[in-house]
Amino acid sequence: MKRIALEFLRRGVLASGIGPLVLAVLYLVLKLSGSVTMLTVDEVCIGIFSLTALAFLAGAMNAIYQIETLPLMCAILIHGSVLYVGYLITFLVNGWLALGWIPIIVFSAIFVVGYIVIWAIVYSIIKRNTERINEALKTRQEGL
Amino acid sequence: MKYKLIIDKDAEEGVVVTVHTPSRLTEEIENLVLSFSGIDSITGHRDDCMRRLTFSEIECITILDRRVTAIDTDGQHYRIQERLRDLENILPTYFIRINKSTLANERRILRFDAAFSGGVDAVFRCGYREYVSRRCFAQIRRRYEGI
Repeated sequence: MKRIALEFLRRGVLASGIGPLVLAVLYLVLKLSGSVTMLTVDEVCIGIFSLTALAFLAGAMNAIYQIETLPLMCAILIHGSVLYVGYLITFLVNGWLALGWIPIIVFSAIFVVGYIVIWAIVYSIIKRNTERINEALKTRQEGL
Repeated sequence: MKYKLIIDKDAEEGVVVTVHTPSRLTEEIENLVLSFSGIDSITGHRDDCMRRLTFSEIECITILDRRVTAIDTDGQHYRIQERLRDLENILPTYFIRINKSTLANERRILRFDAAFSGGVDAVFRCGYREYVSRRCFAQIRRRYEGI
């Protein structure tokens, strides 16, 4: 468990530097598109702090896949849930998502659909690999 | 296939077999060598009884309640004194690692099951199930499919 905790911290710290960089790129794109021309000190600070925290979380949560006993889908589910909460909070505190049921439901629906697609792809790959291994196992056992 | 016998009093004794794929012959040779060396079985303890378990009658060796345990073809559990790491060195090549704490007799694996949770289980002929870790699953794929 200690190894996983250290891995969590290591990955988080490594990834956290990318947060402000993503924020800068995002604001540059918004500026070029004419959507944002001015930022207040508060907006910049909240943006930097929240994106750093989100990047830490996104990087650190990858450590969950190092837990051997945790099935892949469970790892994906935990990873997805934590990222969902992280993204939702980040979007809300930065004012990128309007505070209200409808925007949150739309955001959640997009997130859930994305995860279901990933889940289905991963499951079909595992299923196909397992079938192939069973065939190989059968051939191997018949040959003995 | 060729047979070659090298008699060298100075060299370490050993049997090396080069084949394209494992077969009944390689199995027989392996069993013969292990039997000749006196390491074709391990001692298992159950209640107050002690029993010699030949490798072929062991479905898997795993850690249950922090103890190394062998499960035989009848699904009976036997405590083993040796450590799993030590056993890995003496067990025949048909024992494969399926997770950090389990060595499985691949001849006694009935099938691999993909669970909806995304995990993979090895189902043994005695009915016992054990999860296959992602790392070991990749190794098994390489072993079976040569990828």
